[in-house]
Amino acid sequence: MPYYPARVNEHFLNPRNAGEVNQPDAVGEAGSLVCGAVVRLSLAIDEGLQRVTQARFRATGCGFLIASASVLTETITDLAISRAASLPETAFTDWFDGLPEDRAHCAALCRDALHAALANYHRATLNEWTGDEALICTCFGVSENSIERAIHTGSLRSVDGVTNTNGAGGGCGSCRPLIEDILEDYWRTAAIQPDSGAR
Amino acid sequence: MSDLIYLDNNATTRVAPEVRDAMQPYLADLYGNPSSAHTFGRKMRQAVEHARAQVADLLNAASPDEIVFTSCGSESDNWSIRGVLEAHPDKRHIVTTRVEHEAVRYLCENLERGAYEVTWLEVNEEGLLDPESVRAAIRPDTAVVSVMLANNETGVLFPIEEIGRIVRQTSSAVFHVDGVQAVGKIPIDVRLMNVDLFAISGHKFHAPKGVGALYVRDGVKLSSFMIGGGQEKGRRAGTESVPYIVALGAACEVAKTFDGHGTIRRLRDTLEDRILGTISNARLNGTSDRDRRLPNTSSISFEHVEGEAILAQLDEAGVCVSTGSACNAESHVSSAVLRAMNVPYSAAQGSIRFSLGRYNTAAEIEYTLDTLPGIINRLVEITGV
Repeated sequence: MPYYPARVNEHFLNPRNAGEVNQPDAVGEAGSLVCGAVVRLSLAIDEGLQRVTQARFRATGCGFLIASASVLTETITDLAISRAASLPETAFTDWFDGLPEDRAHCAALCRDALHAALANYHRATLNEWTGDEALICTCFGVSENSIERAIHTGSLRSVDGVTNTNGAGGGCGSCRPLIEDILEDYWRTAAIQPDSGAR
Repeated sequence: MSDLIYLDNNATTRVAPEVRDAMQPYLADLYGNPSSAHTFGRKMRQAVEHARAQVADLLNAASPDEIVFTSCGSESDNWSIRGVLEAHPDKRHIVTTRVEHEAVRYLCENLERGAYEVTWLEVNEEGLLDPESVRAAIRPDTAVVSVMLANNETGVLFPIEEIGRIVRQTSSAVFHVDGVQAVGKIPIDVRLMNVDLFAISGHKFHAPKGVGALYVRDGVKLSSFMIGGGQEKGRRAGTESVPYIVALGAACEVAKTFDGHGTIRRLRDTLEDRILGTISNARLNGTSDRDRRLPNTSSISFEHVEGEAILAQLDEAGVCVSTGSACNAESHVSSAVLRAMNVPYSAAQGSIRFSLGRYNTAAEIEYTLDTLPGIINRLVEITGV
């Protein structure tokens, strides 16, 4: 009878991707003052494809934390950063066929570290790019223009649709009302000019 | 070597075959009630009184009448403190330490929220208690001084004899000692230690779970634990658990004649020395003066690693230990004992208690020593410190 639930135990005993990415494009950390756990993610990101090409973790904590970090790095490798950013909270519970209620925070900590890493990546790119567009999602550095472009190209109708496309709104969530406004404006204008792209 | 390497003997112990044999008949044909007047009942009474004498003998009590059977160590501890307070309603002050077992610590915290005042004695970084701090804490209204003999996590021993002398010389307070972790591991002499109340628990020294005892020195005022049929001279009502009482007596006999303490100590020393000598982030919790620690216990912290993770990997390898850190969402309480000793957080969260017993072998210790470094290395690698 393993100490941890079977799938957690498997990742805990054979963690994937422990370590550091050499010259990472993004790093993110998260820690809990309550339980003392710390997790650090380092990522290599293909700038052209906007895709995570390599993910590594460091973790000080219990088996749930180590297993969550392991499974997270496995999942986000080769994933578009927008998809990585919008991994739902339930992802970890799905991977592990459920987590005990008092250990859900271990998985949440790994997700926080991922968001911190992606925010770190976007801040770095934003610093290089001095655009004058309004920045809507500060977590992932997504501007108003790119949100409008995403709505137009993908014919998006919901905030979740936007988040799934470019990550906007997937972090702290405080910009979600703004994204909703942009969606509303876009589709109101589209209704007045029916051939502007909406199908 | 059996599949299971049990290095958690401070948590509980295997029932000794001698103990099992002694109690067996009382789970079968000898089922009478010791309070019954017929011969069959009186036979049970005889068995209970024989066990009482065995317990008194191990503790060196002046008389078997000073031994009362209880259900466990926590009961003995709770009854001691509550019973003294109830018997001395004019006194509302308690003296105890920061590192007591929960049965004393949580009870005193509870009493402190009510009508009682508690003085919490500090220990130093080695876990040692200065007996003079007891003298300073005692007041005219001190009802009870409660100090453990051996710490369950670190094995550190407190100078009970000296503390007992101070209590007796300077006050009329009752001196309660939680002896649960010490009995069966070191010689006990309640008279030499100047103790008034001494709590013991059977399953810590090879009796089954569910039986304990309290030594109540003749003349100490203690209110009854349970009112009822007048068993245990009215001090603790309830039909005696004859098989378990017989088992406790047999365990005392076994402890009295056990001569393998030197072996246990040598195995513990080997384990401790080699861990501290070969694993770079390992540090000992509690004094390095082994004469001031139980001969079977080593509490060792592995810095920057989570104790639960070590425990889980040792578990996977078939080795049973304990960790001083409990992990959950509300709190990651590194143990109160280690906090009282000012063990740094990065070490306290990685504390592992190894507690040996009479059934451990040199081969088991070798296996543990072969397995542990790899486990710690892997976890340190993941941590990356």
